[in-house]
Amino acid sequence: MKAKTRRILFSLLLVLVLAAVAAVMMVIGRGHTVYFDNKTLEDYQGQEYKAFEKVIVTVKDEQVAKLAKRDRGMSIWIGQNFKMILEVTREKGGESEIHEIDLKLPYSVDGIVINLPALLAGLPEEAWYSEFVPAVTEEPEEEVPGAGDEFGLGLEGELGLEDGLGDI
Amino acid sequence: MNEKKNIPAGKRLLELARNNAVPIMFIIICAVFIPMAGFSPSYLLNEIVTRMGRNLFLVLCLLFPIMAGMGLNFAMTLGAMGAEIAVILVADWQIWGIPGVVLAMILSIPFSALLGFICGTLQNMAKGREMITSYIINFFINGWYQFIVLYIMGAIVPIIHSSIMLPRGYGIRNTVSLLNMRQCLDDLLAIRVAGVKIPVFTFILVALLCLFIVWFRRTKLGQDMRAVGQDMEVAKAAGINVDRTRIISVVMSTVCAGFGMVIYLQNIGNLPTYTGHSQIGMFCIAALLVGGASVDKAGIGNAFLGVILFHMMFIVAPGAGAFITGDSMVGEYFRVFLSYGVITLALIMYEAKKRMAKSRAGRELAEAQVKKEDA
Repeated sequence: MKAKTRRILFSLLLVLVLAAVAAVMMVIGRGHTVYFDNKTLEDYQGQEYKAFEKVIVTVKDEQVAKLAKRDRGMSIWIGQNFKMILEVTREKGGESEIHEIDLKLPYSVDGIVINLPALLAGLPEEAWYSEFVPAVTEEPEEEVPGAGDEFGLGLEGELGLEDGLGDI
Repeated sequence: MNEKKNIPAGKRLLELARNNAVPIMFIIICAVFIPMAGFSPSYLLNEIVTRMGRNLFLVLCLLFPIMAGMGLNFAMTLGAMGAEIAVILVADWQIWGIPGVVLAMILSIPFSALLGFICGTLQNMAKGREMITSYIINFFINGWYQFIVLYIMGAIVPIIHSSIMLPRGYGIRNTVSLLNMRQCLDDLLAIRVAGVKIPVFTFILVALLCLFIVWFRRTKLGQDMRAVGQDMEVAKAAGINVDRTRIISVVMSTVCAGFGMVIYLQNIGNLPTYTGHSQIGMFCIAALLVGGASVDKAGIGNAFLGVILFHMMFIVAPGAGAFITGDSMVGEYFRVFLSYGVITLALIMYEAKKRMAKSRAGRELAEAQVKKEDA
C-alpha cells in the first residue's frame, strides 16, 4: 500500500514537473515577427515626425535590415523581451547615432509593426506601435486530403515512393 | 564453449555469413552502387550523418517491444501521429525554436501513451500475432487521426492561424511549415569536421536513449520484459504480470517514437500532415532489419549499422539507377522494392531459421533416444 501511494505521488510529481516545463516553454518560446517602418508619421497631435535618411537594425548581433526612407524591415524574435540596436542617420551626410532599444512585446500578438521615427522621438506606445494584419487574399479551394477514390489511388505517392515525405 | 572451438573455421565463417546475410547483402549493394553514383565522400558522409541524427531515435524505439517478445512494432506510427498532433498545436500557438521542440515532445506524451496503451491492450488480445495486429491498428488509428486533423481541428479544437488551416475554415493544410523550429536541435552545439556538419546535440539525445536502454535492461522491469520475451508461460509462472509488462513495452516504444518524430520533423522543417507518419514505421523497421536484427533479437548496434546501410542505399540508389539505365527513377523504384524486400527476406529467414532449429532439436532428441535404447 505504501509503495503504491509512493508510486502515485511520484507519477503526480512527474506530471506536475512536465506541466511546469511546458508552461515555461510556452512563455519563453512564443515567437513574434517584428516589422520596422522607417516612414514619416504624419499629423500626430499636430506634429510630423520625419523618416530617417538611413537606419541599420541589428538584432542579436546580426544586421537584419538596412532601411532607407519609406522602407520596412523585419526580424523574428522568440520571447517577450525584444532588444535591438539602431544605427540612425537622420539626414543625408549626417553623423550616425546608436540607440539600444528594449521593448516588451505583447504575448498574444504575432506580428508587431514599429514606427522607428515615432519610437525614437519618445512618443507614447499608441504612436509607434501597431499590430501587423496580413492582407487577406482569395485562395483557390485546396484539394481536401483524402478525397478521391476509396483506395487513395492516384493521389500522392502512387507507388509508395516515400509517400510524399520527400525525404526520410 | 569447447564445442564452438572444435567447429572448423570455414564452417564458422559460413555460419557467420548466414547469420548476417542481410547486412552483408547491403554492404555489397552499397559497395557496388557508391562508385556508380559518383558522389564525393564528404557529400555521402554529410548525408549519412544528417540521416543518422534524423532517424536513429525512431529506430531505437523499436527495441522495447522486441525485448518483450512482441516482434517489430509497426505501431510506432501511432507515436508519430501523437507527435504530429502536438507539432500542429505548437505551430499554431507560435512556439518556436527549442522551446517549441520541447513543448511538442511534452505534448506528444499523453497522445502517444494513450495510443500505445490501446495498441498494447489489443496486442495482448492477439498474442502470437502481434506484428500483423499492430500493422492493422495503424490503419485503424490513422482513420481517427485523419478525422481529428481534417474535421475536429479548427471546428472544435481552436486553430487560430490561417496559414495552418484549410481555406474552408476547418481542417489542417496538407503541409504545415515548421520553418521557425527547423534544425534548431541539429544546429545546437553543431560542429563542422572537414565540411561535414555533425549535429552534436541530436547525437547526445540519441546517446541518452542508448544509455537508457542499456540501463533499462538491467532494471527489474527490463528483466521482466526479457523474461516475457523468452517465454510467456515461464514468466507468468515466475509471478510476472505478462500483460502489463507487454503493454508497458509498447507504451515506451510509442512515447519514444513520438519524441523521435519531433526530432525528425524539426530536421525536415515541415510537416506533411496526412502522409508524414505513414511510412515511418516501415522504413524504421527496414533499417533495423538491414542492421542484422531479427524479429526476436535486436540491439543498439543493429540500429546504428542499419541506419547507416539503409540510408546509404537510399542516397546512392537513384544515382546508380541513372548510371545503369540513364533514368534516375529506376533507382527510386529500386530503393523502394529493396526496402520492402528486405523486410520480407528477414521475416522469411527468421521463420526458416526457427524451423531449422526446431527440426535440429527434434533430430538430436531422436538420436539421444536411439542411443539410450541401444545402451
